[in-house]
Amino acid sequence: MGGVDLGTGGGGKRKSLDSEINMIPMIDLLMVTISFLLITAVWTHMARINADAQVPGPPRPDVEQEKIEPEKQLHVEMRAEDKFVLVWKQGSTTVDSIDVPRKDVIQQQGSVEVIRFPDLAEKVESEWKAKGQHSNPTDRKLDQAILHTDNKTEFKYIIGVIDAIYQIHRDMQLGPKTEKVPAFNITFAVN
Amino acid sequence: MPIQTPARRLMRHVGLEFVEAKVGGGGHRSTNAALSLTSMIDFLVVTVVFLLMTFSASGETPIAQGLTLPKAENTLDMIDAPMVAVVGSQILVDGSPSGNTRTVEESDRMQRIDELFNILKAKRELWKQTHPNKDFPGVVMLQIDQNIKAVIVKSVFQTAAFAGFPNVSFMVNNLPKTAH
Repeated sequence: MGGVDLGTGGGGKRKSLDSEINMIPMIDLLMVTISFLLITAVWTHMARINADAQVPGPPRPDVEQEKIEPEKQLHVEMRAEDKFVLVWKQGSTTVDSIDVPRKDVIQQQGSVEVIRFPDLAEKVESEWKAKGQHSNPTDRKLDQAILHTDNKTEFKYIIGVIDAIYQIHRDMQLGPKTEKVPAFNITFAVN
Repeated sequence: MPIQTPARRLMRHVGLEFVEAKVGGGGHRSTNAALSLTSMIDFLVVTVVFLLMTFSASGETPIAQGLTLPKAENTLDMIDAPMVAVVGSQILVDGSPSGNTRTVEESDRMQRIDELFNILKAKRELWKQTHPNKDFPGVVMLQIDQNIKAVIVKSVFQTAAFAGFPNVSFMVNNLPKTAH
């Protein structure tokens, strides 16, 4: 038995303030809790990375087409082995094109190769700050990024590029509070 | 009963000297081992606290066998959605075989995978019938091996979008965030 002695004893008719904890059921409870938590523990944390196919559709027929200006979209081309090409397009018009030297940062973690593109993330961020159209916290829309790959690129490199683009966050007002959301919505080019 | 100074008390009340000598050591090394309860309980409590902090009530998402997922840092939490896994050349939807990627591999050209399309479309119709007054979320989760080629990724992605699942998410292993 483990206990607490307040030094007041149980003298007289007063109820003793000393208390005792029965150690055996307490240790049993701790052991059972540990066993349960160990059995139900999930050591690998799965998550998801979004690649939306919901690109903005054609303009509404009831709105005059002349007044609708197509939004700027960032096309990220990863076809070349030595560089990425960032192309800002507004409709079919090319607004700007920038080459980013490709520097793959490869980290081996067990059987998985983690691919990172920090230079690309940095360049996309500076480009978004300069040319992005949806940066106001009250704006619920996101800028659109379209990823172009060749057919042979391995999936881990695609995830590396998507991860680099999702690194850029902006504030968005969702109800009473402001939250950090990715600055871009990413989709794949069909060609 | 007040707390007393810790000491050996086991079987001391037995009025036999040889018993006392046996349990007390009697000049030899004692056969009794003392276990420090305080440090043991401290250890157990720390273990319980650690396990409780890492506990996840959402459970484990099943991953298809023989599949190595890539790792990413800027991720979102998992959601409940149909799971499309690409294992080798086999495609599984919620664990059931739903076509293969051989035609895409052979032609090296992005194309719709008909069997997968039909199964996903059927899932969509079923959801709409069972939830008549709700908007279809159109979310699908793709489990794709890290070494699969882009042509297969794009074909599966496009097939899912054509079948009415435009909100495509790729399942990845979560990496702890680094400071940028």
